[in-house]
Formats: sequence, C-alpha cells, structure tokens
Amino acid sequence: MKGQGMRIRRLVTELRLLPYDPTKVIGFLLCAALAYLILAPVLALLLDTVRVNLRDSATIGIPTGTFTTYFLQRTFLSRVSEVLFWKPFWQTLFVAGAVCGIAIPMGALFAWLVVRTDLPGSKLVSRLMVVPYMIPSWTFAVAWISVFKNRRLGGLAGMLETMGFVPPDWLAYGALPIIVCESLHVFPFAFLLFGNALRSMDSQLEESARVLGASSFTISRRIVLPLLKPALLSSFLLTFSRVLGSFGTPYILGSGVKYYLLPTALYNSYKVGSPGVAAVIACVTVLMGVSLVALDMFFVREYRRFITLGGKGAILRKSPLGGLTLPALFFTLIALGITVLIPLGTLVLTTFMHRPGLFTVENFTLDYWIGATIPAMVGQKGFFLNPDILRSLKNSVWVAGSASLLCGFLGMLVGYVVVRLPKSRVAAYLRQVSFLPYLVPSIGFAAASLSFFAVPRGPIPSLYGSMFLLVLVMSLKYLPFASRSGITAMMQMGNEPEEAARVCGAGWLRRMGRIVLPLQKHALLTGVLLPLISGMKEQSLVIMLATPGTELMTTQILRFIDYGYTQLANATVVGIVGIIFILTLSMERLTGANLATGFASRG
Amino acid sequence: MAEIVLKNIRKTFGPSVVAVDDLNLTIQSGSFVSLLGPSGCGKTTTLRMIAGLDTPDGGELYLDGKLLFSESEGCMVPTEKRGMGLVFQSYALWPHMTVAQNVSFGLEMRGMPKEARRKRVQEVLELLHIDTLQNRYPSELSGGQQQRVALARMLAINPDVLLLDEPLSNLDAKLRLEMRTELKRLHQTLKNTILYVTHDQLEAMTLSTHVAVMHNGRILQYAPPLTIYRFPADLTVAAFVGSPPMNFFSRSENEGSDVFRSFLPLFPGLAERVHTVGVRPEDLYLSPTPPLDPWSYPAIFETVLPTGSDWIVSLRVHKRTIFLVLREEPRIKPGEQVWISTRTEKLHLFDTQQKRIESP
Repeated sequence: MKGQGMRIRRLVTELRLLPYDPTKVIGFLLCAALAYLILAPVLALLLDTVRVNLRDSATIGIPTGTFTTYFLQRTFLSRVSEVLFWKPFWQTLFVAGAVCGIAIPMGALFAWLVVRTDLPGSKLVSRLMVVPYMIPSWTFAVAWISVFKNRRLGGLAGMLETMGFVPPDWLAYGALPIIVCESLHVFPFAFLLFGNALRSMDSQLEESARVLGASSFTISRRIVLPLLKPALLSSFLLTFSRVLGSFGTPYILGSGVKYYLLPTALYNSYKVGSPGVAAVIACVTVLMGVSLVALDMFFVREYRRFITLGGKGAILRKSPLGGLTLPALFFTLIALGITVLIPLGTLVLTTFMHRPGLFTVENFTLDYWIGATIPAMVGQKGFFLNPDILRSLKNSVWVAGSASLLCGFLGMLVGYVVVRLPKSRVAAYLRQVSFLPYLVPSIGFAAASLSFFAVPRGPIPSLYGSMFLLVLVMSLKYLPFASRSGITAMMQMGNEPEEAARVCGAGWLRRMGRIVLPLQKHALLTGVLLPLISGMKEQSLVIMLATPGTELMTTQILRFIDYGYTQLANATVVGIVGIIFILTLSMERLTGANLATGFASRG
Repeated sequence: MAEIVLKNIRKTFGPSVVAVDDLNLTIQSGSFVSLLGPSGCGKTTTLRMIAGLDTPDGGELYLDGKLLFSESEGCMVPTEKRGMGLVFQSYALWPHMTVAQNVSFGLEMRGMPKEARRKRVQEVLELLHIDTLQNRYPSELSGGQQQRVALARMLAINPDVLLLDEPLSNLDAKLRLEMRTELKRLHQTLKNTILYVTHDQLEAMTLSTHVAVMHNGRILQYAPPLTIYRFPADLTVAAFVGSPPMNFFSRSENEGSDVFRSFLPLFPGLAERVHTVGVRPEDLYLSPTPPLDPWSYPAIFETVLPTGSDWIVSLRVHKRTIFLVLREEPRIKPGEQVWISTRTEKLHLFDTQQKRIESP
C-alpha cells in the first residue's frame, strides 16, 4: 500500500516536470514509432517467407496464413529455382565483380592523376569526375538504350540503327551494357575513396622509405599499397552494395533479353509471380546488404589503427608527369567525355529529333518539349505540356519534399534524444534502429514496407497506392543519414548551451525555439536538402510502390521506355538531371557542404 | 540570503558507478565554498544536482530551508525554478546571440521590460569591465572575455547562489590569476553564496572561505583552507593538498620503514597507533653536517629544480625520493651526503584508518 502511494507520488512528480524536460517522453514515442515503421515491416517480410499470403493462396491451394516451407523450397530447390533465383543471383555476383574490375582501377588511376601528379586543371577534373555520381545511376542506361537499341524491342529505332548499323543483342542488352553503365556510375566512389586516401598519405612516408634505401617498386609494395587497402576494400564493398540495390539499369537493359539481376528478379516475382518468392528474394538481398555493411565496419575498425597523428598536416609532393602530361590530359578528357558529356549530350540531342540518329534539317523538332501533339506518339504531348510528366513532376516534388522534411525532422529528434540521454537504453536502441534501413537494399526495404502496409493494420487502412506510403518509405530509407547527421550536430553543440538556458529559467519550448533550433539551422538544412536530392532521383525504392495515380518522374521514365517513347523518356531524364543540378548547386551555395564529400547514398 | 543543505545525497550512474555517496554538506549563506578533488571524484555531479540538472537517487536538498529535492517526499524543483546561476567550464555562450543578448536572456525569461533589461545588462557588463563588447558575437571574443560574459550572463539575474564549474581551467596562467582576483572582488562586493568546483588546489586555497575535499564521491574534510593545509584530517587530503606533495613514511612500506622507525621516539605515547608519518617539503631542513635537532636523518642529494622564488630539492632516502623546498639556493653537489631534519610539531601523524592523530 505504502509502496503504491510512493509510486503514484513519483509519477505525479514526473508528470509535473514534463513541460521542463520532455526528452524521455519524446524518446519513448520515437522508439515506438520506429519499432512500428522499421522493425515491424522487416519482421513482416521475414514472416512472409514462411507464411502463405492472400495472392499466393489461390495459386498454390494452401489457405492464407498457413505456415509453409513452400516458398523457400520453390526459390532455392525447385525446378524453377534456377530461373527464379539462382541465375539472377550468380549474374548479380558476376556483374558486381566485373563492375569492381572496371570501376576501381579507373577510379584509383584518376585519383592518383589528380592528387599525386601535376596534371593541369586537376581541380576542375576532380569536380567533373564526381558528376556521374551526382546524376541518377540509370541515366547511363537510358542513354545507352537510345543509342544501341535494336529491333528486338518495339518503338523507335536506336540511333545506330537509324544510321545504318544494327547493334547485335550482346551489345544492346544484357551483361555488357549493364556492366559498362554501372561502372560509369560507380567509379566516382572509387575515385573519391582513393583520392581521400592518397590525399591523407604523407609523402614523407615514402621519402622515409627512400632514405632508408628502398626502390620505387618496394615502396609501392610495402608502403603505398598497404595504406590504400582500406580504400580498396571499401570501394569493393560499396560497388557490390550499389549493384545489389540498383533497379533501373538492369531493368532497362536486361528485361528485354530476360537477363535478370536480383532487384529485377524480385520485382518480377512480385509483379507477375509469387509475392512469397519475392519475400524470400528480398530477404536474401537484406542478408547480403547486412553482411556487406558488417564487413565494411569490420575493415574500418581494423584499419583505424592506421590513422596516425602527425605534428603537422600531411605534405603532398606531386610527381611531375613530364612528357606524359599531354597523353594523360588527353586520356582524362576522353574519360570525362565518356562518363559525362556523351551520355548527357546524347539524351539532350535525342529529345530534339523525330528519329534519333537521322541528321537532316527537317528531322529536328521542338515537339518533344513544347509540342501540343506529337505525330509519332498518338495522344502524347511535349514535356512542358504532357499531363503524365507534369503530374509525375508534381508527385516527385511533393513526395521527395515531404519525405525530406519528415526525414530531417525525425533525424534531428533522434539526434536530440540520443545526445540528451547518453548511455541509456533508449539512445542505444534509437541509434541502431534508425540505422537499420541502411543495411537493407532499397528494393528489399520497399518489399518489406509493402508486405506490412499493403494490408489494413488496426486503425490504419491499407496504404498501397497512396502517396503517403511513398513519403513514409522514402523518409525512413534516408533516416540513417539524417539521424547520423542529427547525432553529430547535436554532439557538436553539446548539452551545455541548453542547460545554460535552463539555468536562466527557459522552459523546453523556449529552449527549442531560442537556442536549439537556431543553433541547428545549418544541420537541419543539410538534413533536409540531401534527402530531397536523393528523393528526386530515387527509383529502386519507389518502383514497387508507385501506382498509376502516384507515378513519380523516375517511374514515369520506365513507363515511357516500356511504351517505346524514347524522346519523352529522355526529356524526363534531362528534366530530373536539371533539377538535381540546380538543387545540388543551391545546397552547396547555402550550406557550404560539398556533395562529393558528404553523402554516400546507396542504391 | 541563501543557505544550501545537502542531506544523505546519493547519485549512481548505471549499476556500478557511485558518483556521489551519502553526501552531507551545509553551505552557509554568503560563503565561498570550493569542492576540491581529482577528476571523477563527484564534485561536478554534486554541483549539477544542486543546480537541478541531475536528479539525485536519494537524500534531500534544501535552499534556505525550502525543499528542493527529496527522494522520499517525491519532490523535485526543476532547474528553471531554482533561480541559481551556473557558469560552465566551456562557458556555453550561445554563439548565435551577441554579448548583450546572451546577458539579457535570463532577464527576458523573468519577464523584465525591455528598457529595464537594457539598463541591467549595461550595469552588469560594466561591473565586469566588458561594456564595450555588447554587440560582439562570442566567436569574436578572447577566452578571458568569453569567461567574463559567461559570468555576466549569470550575474545579470542576481542569483543568491552562483555555481561555478571549473570556470578558469580553459584560461592561460596569467588570465587565470586576473580572473581569480576578479572573482574574489565580485564575491566581496555582491556577497552571494558561491559554490566553486575545481581540481586546482591553488584556486581552492586562494579563493574560498571553506574548502570541501572530495574523493570517491565522499567529502573527506570540510574546513577553511588554512585548516585543511595545516591540519589535514586524512591521509588522502594531506596527499592531495600541497605542492610539491607531502612526504610520507609508512610502517608497512619496505623502503621507508627505517625512516619511519626513527620518528617513533618523538611521540612515545602514540608509537602503537601511528601508521604513517607525513612532513611537508617546506617543513624539512637541510644541513651538510648532522644537526642537533631531536630528529634528523642522512640522505643523498639528487638534484635541484629552481623555480625562481624557491628551490625544490629531491633527495634519496633509503631507495626512495623525497622533496624539500628551500628559500635559498643549496650549495651542495649531486651525490653528496646531507642531513634532513624537522621539528616535532611539524609532523602529521595518521593511524591505520588513515585518519589524523592529534599530537598531544
């Protein structure tokens, strides 16, 4: 009896103190929200691999909700497992390996040229090299298909075919183009990672070895290469997780010849096959994603021992290229042309031509931008008048905008609670759960959200087909970055400015309004703008969630490609790239942050 | 007037870390009390509990007889309502506000009208000689100026209790002396109660009316600074206060036990109880020949560290090093034999419980 009275009194005290410091309550609410929005969908996905869902129950004749190993057997052991899973699985590994083989040496070479040699204009080169990483990954695939497309797919002919050369299938579709396009997108990662590693490597390390009598070969083998190993491993893992998470490129270049990778196989199973099998494949991608991040973290920890603090900043000595200057410059220009100018140039050019590749005066047109009717496409209008494009633009802005605001706000709250309740269980939980979406490849995350939110749960109706689902999933997928930056920003600020305000007599709302938010303005801006940029080009995450009413620009492109409306697809790509350039530049202007060093988003 | 009373205050972090252990302390109104101790001894936690930023696990806390916190009563007055001032070690100035805005914030929270606020800010800034800096931002100030603004911000609301958490530790030596003088002057003028947390014994000794020496979450001695220096209640206090530290000779240690035994004839009645004998470096004398004092001991001269005003001498006595402070330069070479001596009343005696034994 007495104990109970005490407990009630303590509760009353807690409640009375609530307006002064509601951190614990906010923390508790956040924990509950993230458990429902992140943990539950992933668990639902796991459950879907062993439980019969509504759509499958009709086909396989087992009642909904029954536990079964049918999907596991079908995916891994049955006669169709080869087509459903194993072939896409091995092809994914093959493509990822090949992309590593191209992108990493390419990135490392240019990093060395820019950082360690006297290559003219190296500053400009290093800025341009990052452009392929800024523009959406599937841009290259869209450009590729406009050039190399052959008769196998319907719609307009590709540029080369129009010019009289019919590209063979192996050049137009499948492994080769996928590998090339993914490499072009991924190599800036390797470039950045190696660039940073080389930049932080003191020339004196090599000079010490030289003073002790080591030859150049010995120096590279014993000093330079071991120090570059972390960059090498990180590029390797990042490339793998990129390929594992990217949907657009294999969809555009592989579907026509039934060359599937795991993301497209998952999509196919979900759209036309069995959702149960899709859940199994999604779980495999989640598992692969988790192990890649675990490996990366292990290596980062392993190599942290390498970081040494010198008395002064690292001294960089640039080796003269001498007679090799011109060839190196020429080579760099060609590479920049292939990675940036040619793909974007092709895309822009095609939107002004009735038949891409036919260079006659009457073939050029503005119809695909401002035409009220397009002769070759019945019922379609030019970019600026096209209702499909305009609606998808509106949807994209709306979804990415709300998602980034929600995400930035959630990230800041997570940061606030984690820093204000250090060492508490709430803080540890929030850190881990808000990081979880990072481990899950986009398409797997979408699959998980779909299996959880597509059916009514208690008071919440089915969200499938609603814009809200897109906003929710997008903001959760980017939460790892937002919460990380929120935690860092709050840590940097520390508790003391707020405590000083408490001592001065300011209540919680006033402290937020007068002290915390003004001090976090900058971080909050970055925390909103980065997800906004990523959201505008997001495709893998939304492809399974978008429905005819909620089409985004990125998914609209795939519809246009499916219909063979090359110029409209390309015009939409150009539109997105333009928006992203403007957003990126204004963010750099506003926050002084450099995208090249800030945000390593994953497929 | 503001008297702070802590009764059986306890605070633990996690299952194993006891930060403050059953602490009892009465801080009289108008006094300048220092909490002195090594880092991690619980002094900052104590200060934060008084401010209300940390909640004790148990015990009671009073300000002028009014209950601020009680575990059994379920009472906890929030920081915002305590009306105390607290200066942080990092100053915690708000970087997005000017000096004047920083200082005026607390007044604003109390609903003071604008004109009155402006006057009060001016007054406080003048008191601290920084009235020319009104419109600067914290990043445009030097460390010493930031320190003054942090003080001004808390003094503006004219708190009865001013809490200072290692406020001088980020300043260089010259500024530190200047600010110490400033703090003492302010205390003499404003007469509010000040609780000062520091690990610097010189600060605690020079500023305070009372010093509380803390160790492992407990208060070992609470007394005026000179009492602490002259009559340390405890072996730990004796070892912590004083620089260079007191020399100890203990019954249990091998190297010192011969020296220890040589002291015993000086206090025959206590010979059984005494476990450790301590003597401050400045209470030891040095002579090249055996002196006539009641106690002396041979030693080997090792080296000398001249500080300018004093000479700190290190000597080898039975394989261990002891320190002396001399006011004059010693005329002895390293390796030479010398004799050390002291007067009986300069010896500090401690029992097996490490407690001070009052000499008869």
